[in-house]
Amino acid sequence: MNRAISAIVKKDMWEITANRQLLLMIVIVPLVLTLVVPSIFLLSAHFAPQEMEELQELMGMLPEEMQNVETEELMVRLLMNHILPLFFLIIPIMAASVMAASSFVGEKEQSTLETLLYSPLTVRQLFHAKVLASFLFSMLVSGIAFLGMILVLGVEMYALTGVMLIPGISWILVLALLSPAVSLIAITLIVRGSAKAQSVMEAQQKAAFLILPVVFLIAGQFLGVMLLSVWILAGLSAVLAVLAWVLLRTSLAKFSGEMLLGNR
Amino acid sequence: MYAVEMNHLSKIYTGGKTAVADMSLMLEQGEVFGFLGPNGAGKTTTVKVLNGMLQSSEGKCMVFGEDPAREPEKVHAVSGVMTEHAQMYNHLTGLQNLIFYGAMFGIGEEESRKRARELLKQLELADAAGQKLSAYSTGMRQRLSIARALMHRPKILFLDEPTSGLDPESAYNVNQMILALAKEQGMTVFLCTHQLRYAQEICTRYGLIDEGKLLTVGTLEELRDGVSSGMSVQIRADRVPDALEDALRKRAVSDRCRNTEQTAGIREFTFEAASEEEIPHIVSQIVESGGKVYHVSASRPSLEDIYFALTAERRQQ
Repeated sequence: MNRAISAIVKKDMWEITANRQLLLMIVIVPLVLTLVVPSIFLLSAHFAPQEMEELQELMGMLPEEMQNVETEELMVRLLMNHILPLFFLIIPIMAASVMAASSFVGEKEQSTLETLLYSPLTVRQLFHAKVLASFLFSMLVSGIAFLGMILVLGVEMYALTGVMLIPGISWILVLALLSPAVSLIAITLIVRGSAKAQSVMEAQQKAAFLILPVVFLIAGQFLGVMLLSVWILAGLSAVLAVLAWVLLRTSLAKFSGEMLLGNR
Repeated sequence: MYAVEMNHLSKIYTGGKTAVADMSLMLEQGEVFGFLGPNGAGKTTTVKVLNGMLQSSEGKCMVFGEDPAREPEKVHAVSGVMTEHAQMYNHLTGLQNLIFYGAMFGIGEEESRKRARELLKQLELADAAGQKLSAYSTGMRQRLSIARALMHRPKILFLDEPTSGLDPESAYNVNQMILALAKEQGMTVFLCTHQLRYAQEICTRYGLIDEGKLLTVGTLEELRDGVSSGMSVQIRADRVPDALEDALRKRAVSDRCRNTEQTAGIREFTFEAASEEEIPHIVSQIVESGGKVYHVSASRPSLEDIYFALTAERRQQ
């Protein structure tokens, strides 16, 4: 039944790219987060006066090993390895929830879910296909955003300082573990909610709450309250990955056609 | 093996509404079964239970030996379902939709395209193949749904009101297509409808359902025998022997088209006859006594008549 699963994945991907409104949202958020915001940050770090008192104070709060480098380089390192990675939690959550909402609740809204359920796929296989489509899509968006970011920031950085930009080890963790984990969690929560949600909008609004904890993390990073070390990041990723797996399993167990369609 | 087997099947929704009550029914392979009843009678619910979309509250059912409650996907592999709630994608064209659903049944793209084109042609949608579904009219959607249900060449076709929303010509064509599928490919058809006239044209056997209960099952002849033994005969003649006239008057069909025309000695009678055998006998009696027969027609109760008779009976109870 691989043909059926890949047909669903293809159809869902095509569907989302055909919807201009959704596509715009999916393009703009990563564009702002990974290109516009860091570019402004880079430029201001380069051109701003070096002896700003507030900045020095902020620098004073950083761990010791980070204080021995040039202010500008320090700021870039801070941005690159501590703040930008967190944006790669927002991007997959956003992409995954937009996609999952439109692919599960959207089918229900259009009355096409019942038609899918009449196929020879088990409800479990359908669930897998749908989750896979949302997951692949969100990873694709994150991947493209990452490549775009590295390319643009790398060029900017080289032009301004002549230094090559090399992503730190935290990036591997974020892209390989944390992003997939949060995107799976987002998908599963949306799917769980999809039995009750009657419209795509409703499901997407619920998903917006998922971004809140990430926003706190980012605010924390900026304020220097909790600079995430690689180890904390690794631990967090592992916990989230396990959580994603557990959520996925329990949702799958609850899943049935009758539950999805409701009593009509 | 039966195509469909229902044993004391019941479905009670969580709200407490009984949609199907203690239904037992067997369908032979190749039958075109008309499942008839008013809106809300439980027809769609039955189809959903038979396809595992809903779990039965009591009883068991099988479709081609597979249990839809346990392994609905096995039932889906042999069944094609068309219901009002099973729609297709608006942003895809008719052809793209069919190819997508073909893939859902594991059919390769080339083969899907071939089958889709054939079906679109049969259902007079060839010109609309490249149009997005959003531009389709209700009737066109309806026909495309039938095509979709046939993509994987199912052994049994469940059709829920396939001709509602179709103009008479399309409805006729759809009916002819269903008939051809049953005759040429031996496909079993489970046809839910309240359009009794269309049903009478194609079904080999009927089940009448009301408020979740199966009122009766049988061929048209069997159903007729159940409601009235004979047939109504209409005769127009002159110089009818008095004795015969009295006898026929006594058997006149009570409420409908009683004896009316009396101009120039021509009489018209509509009466109930026990069997067809009686007709030549009556006609020869008139002719032998020197009378002229202008018109003789015999009709048996239509499905509609039977349906009304049965539902009226039930209401009285």
